Amino acid sequence: MPGNEQAAELFRQIVVPHLADALALARWLTGSLHDAEDVVQEASIRAFTAINSYEGRGPRAWLLSIVRNTCFTWLAKNRPHEIVLVGSAAEMDGTELGLHEDPALDPEADMIRRADTAAVEAAIAALPQPYREVLVLHDINGLSYKEIAAMLSIPIGTVMSRLSRARRLIAAQIGREAP
Amino acid sequence: MTQLSPSDLLLLHALADQELDAAAALALEARVAAEPALAAEYARILALKARTKALGKPAVSPDFAARIAALAQDAEPRPAARRARIFSFDHPSWRALAASVVLTAFLAGGGTYLFTAPQSEASIEDAVADGHHRALLAASPIDVQSSDRHTVKPWLDQKLGLSPPTADLAAQGFPLVGGRVEVIAGNPLPVLVYRRRQHLISVVAKPLPNGSVEAPASRTVDGYNMVSWAGGGFHYWAVSDLDPVELSNFVDNFRKQ
Repeated sequence: MPGNEQAAELFRQIVVPHLADALALARWLTGSLHDAEDVVQEASIRAFTAINSYEGRGPRAWLLSIVRNTCFTWLAKNRPHEIVLVGSAAEMDGTELGLHEDPALDPEADMIRRADTAAVEAAIAALPQPYREVLVLHDINGLSYKEIAAMLSIPIGTVMSRLSRARRLIAAQIGREAP
Repeated sequence: MTQLSPSDLLLLHALADQELDAAAALALEARVAAEPALAAEYARILALKARTKALGKPAVSPDFAARIAALAQDAEPRPAARRARIFSFDHPSWRALAASVVLTAFLAGGGTYLFTAPQSEASIEDAVADGHHRALLAASPIDVQSSDRHTVKPWLDQKLGLSPPTADLAAQGFPLVGGRVEVIAGNPLPVLVYRRRQHLISVVAKPLPNGSVEAPASRTVDGYNMVSWAGGGFHYWAVSDLDPVELSNFVDNFRKQ
């Protein structure tokens, strides 16, 4: 059927080239590369069945939002205790965590440059989920503030405060671990 | 270590992420060059960005890529015309999703409700905070620059056909720096901009059909402090990164005028 051929071709053009991005996001949201492959496979099936609803722009952001949703379904099924973090995103954006009293990043730029890869990965893994996903979507997947705001349905200002907060938490963690 | 203001911090991150417009970027770059505290923080942000980016993305094994590519042969895409079926509750993935939503809502419990419920009513507060935020990011947070209220008031009058009482609070330590127009919930509204040291205060005024009066109420929206009150035919929102005590002090002075 020609329609199917077209869909398969579209799938090869907009999903397959972005698998590394999809794996990166799923890896940081689920916490393991092995689980990430399962999630991305499931997300790819969803992406293919929904491919006719693809609107023709931002294929990476489109795929990543499907991956993100699939991650949450997967987490709800496999790690019901961790999904709680998703619901509590709102309470982390206020000043309860002292966003205003936040000290400047602790360590010097040099110390950050020299930090162990393992230490950086551990610091990202330790971030609360709402900060972690914004950091990964921006700094690893390379989405813009606007694309992230649209994907998460939050104001751009919230994207900015979560991103800066995430980076500061990582820097503080690196500073604590450095000798 | 010098304490940087929250808005400077956000601006530094936005500069590092190339999310500022050219004029704002140039202005901030000049400040970074002149202020060592900003320069040190900026260097740290760039170092951290580079470090995170260097972690890279997982390699896609040829085996995995082939498995995904093969999906397109096995499965059948849902034609656009039948897309409505996605929303049918019979579809297993939707059942799973719905179950997970229920589970999440249940687990997250009443706490989440407390935080999300006021937000839906508070959309105008969000819009006011966003407007203030945008103004700080823009090349200039004001459209008409004047410390003279006899300039700002007619300018707003001419633009909007209405202008709120423009209080002169320079003597109290809150000089007027100008005004701008902001579109909030589809209505163009006058905004007065005051300054306290390096902090800007945006005062949004929305005309009220009746003469209702409301006492000032404080809250935090998107990390900004906000005080809202009503009186003299307007509903006001004052938003700033100024600390809550000073902002309340500002509002008290503004209302006395």
